[in-house]
Amino acid sequence: MTESNVVDLLAVFPDLEPAANAIEHLRSIGVHDDCMNVISGIPVTEAMLGRPSQWTNVPRIAMGGAALGFGAGFFLAYITPYLYPYPIQLSTQSFIPGPPTVVVLFELTMLGMLLSTFLGVFLDSFFPNYRPMKYVPEVSDGKIAILVECPHVEEKKVTDALKKMGAESVNPAEAQHL
Amino acid sequence: MAYEKKHAEHAHAAHAHGEEHFREKHLMLDPLPRGQMNDMVMESMMEKPTWKFWVVIAILSAIVAYGLVYSWAKMIAEGLGIAGVNRPAYWGIFLVNTVFWIGISHAGTFISAILRVFKAEFRRPFTRAAELMTTFGLVQAGFSIFMHMGRVWLSYWLMPYPNQRMLWPNLHSPLTWDLLAITTYLLSSTMYLFLPLIPDLAMARDRSTGWRKNFYKILALGFRGTEGEWTHLRNAMNIFAFAIIPVMFSVHTIVSWDFAAATRPGWSSTIFGPYFVVGALHSGMGAVIVVLAVIRATMKHMKYFIRAEHFDAIGKLMLIISMAWAYFFFNDYMVQWYGGDKWTKQLLHFHEAGPMGWMWFAMLIFNIVIPWAILWNPKWRSTPWLVSIVGILINVGMWFERYIIIPVSLTINRMPFTWRLYKPGVEIPLGLGTLAFFILLYMIASKLIPLIPVWEVQEGQMAHELKKFGRETVVTVSELE
Amino acid sequence: MATLADLKISEVKLSEEQTGKWGMVIDQDICTGCQACVAACAMENNLSFVGEVDSGYGRSMHWIRIERFWEGAYPEVKMTPNQPMMCQQCGSAPCEPVCPAYATMHSQAEQLNLQVYNRCVGTRYCANNCPYQVRSFNWRDYERPEPLSNQLNPDVTVRRRGVMEKCTFCIQRIHKAQDKAKSEGREVVDGEFTTACAQACPANAITFGRVDDPESLVSQLAHRGHGVKHLEELGALPSVTYFKGG
Repeated sequence: MTESNVVDLLAVFPDLEPAANAIEHLRSIGVHDDCMNVISGIPVTEAMLGRPSQWTNVPRIAMGGAALGFGAGFFLAYITPYLYPYPIQLSTQSFIPGPPTVVVLFELTMLGMLLSTFLGVFLDSFFPNYRPMKYVPEVSDGKIAILVECPHVEEKKVTDALKKMGAESVNPAEAQHL
Repeated sequence: MAYEKKHAEHAHAAHAHGEEHFREKHLMLDPLPRGQMNDMVMESMMEKPTWKFWVVIAILSAIVAYGLVYSWAKMIAEGLGIAGVNRPAYWGIFLVNTVFWIGISHAGTFISAILRVFKAEFRRPFTRAAELMTTFGLVQAGFSIFMHMGRVWLSYWLMPYPNQRMLWPNLHSPLTWDLLAITTYLLSSTMYLFLPLIPDLAMARDRSTGWRKNFYKILALGFRGTEGEWTHLRNAMNIFAFAIIPVMFSVHTIVSWDFAAATRPGWSSTIFGPYFVVGALHSGMGAVIVVLAVIRATMKHMKYFIRAEHFDAIGKLMLIISMAWAYFFFNDYMVQWYGGDKWTKQLLHFHEAGPMGWMWFAMLIFNIVIPWAILWNPKWRSTPWLVSIVGILINVGMWFERYIIIPVSLTINRMPFTWRLYKPGVEIPLGLGTLAFFILLYMIASKLIPLIPVWEVQEGQMAHELKKFGRETVVTVSELE
Repeated sequence: MATLADLKISEVKLSEEQTGKWGMVIDQDICTGCQACVAACAMENNLSFVGEVDSGYGRSMHWIRIERFWEGAYPEVKMTPNQPMMCQQCGSAPCEPVCPAYATMHSQAEQLNLQVYNRCVGTRYCANNCPYQVRSFNWRDYERPEPLSNQLNPDVTVRRRGVMEKCTFCIQRIHKAQDKAKSEGREVVDGEFTTACAQACPANAITFGRVDDPESLVSQLAHRGHGVKHLEELGALPSVTYFKGG
């Protein structure tokens, strides 16, 4: 399917209930879940809207970051003392001190994990993204918007269905600068 | 019959009154349309500052310019001689302030992470106000620790990076752990401040014009609120809420190890870790309540978001933390006293009866007596001005506590020939400079970012409702997450 | 299986291994408190003169100091023997591990506690952790009025503000003597050289030498029996033995 055959419709619903109903109805008239997206001003869970659960890589990226952080901590604690031109003796403490390595490993593991969690949000959500996007500012006022992708020929059918389910407005979505 | 009717009317009136009463009392049961709340937050943020605001900004800027910029430059040029540190008090107010500011920073994490994890609903309107304190407080802690260094221009030597000197930082030293822990904490608390802010920045972007529009547009990163974005954000915030708690504990524990690991009477104490963490929360909660009272009094619409119930809840926490602090203080004191080491005995005597004895007693009065005397009463602890006075006194008391632990305890050591009292010098303008800079950053931030996490408030309001059990109406919360 | 006694023995062995190489014996009974050692140390090691005000505030820069104490209350005051105090060159020095920049560390060759001025960033943790409080910090760049600059010892570096310093057991003299002995193809002889403080002491209260050589004067004095090491209970293994009331 080429770009011109498809149209994006943006329906704004006043509340959770009609939005959930509309999603159910759309599915019954043959719109696939993959062709829908919900935009909201509060974290509406997939379960509330009866939508398939979203895939997120954030926990995996976090674990990866934790592993990297642990590696960095290991390097600091166990490798750097050997990188000196000569071994440095401090007091009668052992060359690689035991308990302090725990501190170093802990801090760097946490640092790696939290940095990559943050980074994970950026990667998964494609942040920062300043290109024009399909959006209605009303969602930050608590409205719930459903973005439906449907073939051109079905535009009317879907629009009517959305209107019937209580959409305040249904418009072809245009990408705009936010 | 008439009696029954009357009774029914009475019951109905009582019920209506009850609901009204609940609405008035609880923000979560007093929902407003989201658009209206957005407008209120935007208005409070963009309200044209009065002349008073500019006067305060000018005074604070002057203090920052003199205290932080000029005095610090002078100290770097002339050496630490213009400060009061000497032998034996090699550490003075700089480290007192470092510990103090890190303590302040613990409140934000406590409120936005621990209370989030335990789903304490009263946190919702002021998580951001507290998180801002964390970030800005840590900035001041960083300043204070760098001021303290004799050759601050070489501080990059403490960073682990390959260099031609073929040297790496010494991982045996508690100060190196400190550096790692504070860096971790500063970075993660800033990220944790930013993540829940993204939706509010998007909200601000949608309702602003001019330079603000561009400012929020850049910061909001193109957030729309799609299912995917929310899922990633929720997951990340969940990870942060859990993971930042051990980081927070580790930071102040490691700060306490700077002292506890040293061979000094009064310092080598195994209880310093938790004692310092609780002390940090004590001063941090005290500071949060002051900030909330100021925000409520000076910013528009804040009386809707921050109510007596919040002061009541934080007041309860303050009371519990004050008790915990008293417990740890006494635990430390008792064991030191019982140990009977002659130097420790000298030190304890010096704390109480020495020239700084007034500070030791003031510490106990401000940290224990006054909080206990006032915070037990629900009416008193719901009164913003009264609890903020308690909060200020707790902060003074906790500053005294750090002052007693650092320069006063350093006065007494195992070489009586060197005993000498510490007198602060340029530390005072520098310390005031950090305080002024903290307030200045906060004031500027209050004009730039939405102080109330609107989406979190709305989420909370959706989750709360009144439910009747027999004749009684109670508040219920459903877990939306 | 190691018994408790074995463990005890190994502990003793450890501390004996750590007795160090160079050591000092100070006889407090014959110390007159004349401060000649303090002056000689300042000359030898290019110490700064901090002036009246800083000195009065506990910032005097001395690597050695004479501690004087009084016992009893007026009018029955009794003076106790003078106590010269300098870096004890601990075998297990508390100052070493706490430095974040490795500016103070244990020298394997000399078994001394080194201070690397160039590496010091001035956190002053070492000075806090020193039980003997013998470290001096350069609080300022102190002036050295002419012609005092002509008196500087070329073998010793000059320190700038923000740097910690302390007694080195005149390590420059140790090296000089070792170099000389090496060029002559022999070992350093006991008594061939000594530290500035010991050299200047008119009462011979300070003796310096190899404590690991049982024949040296310092070892023989140290093993006389009633010597004490200060704050030995802390386990820092100091290298200086004091005699008092013998």
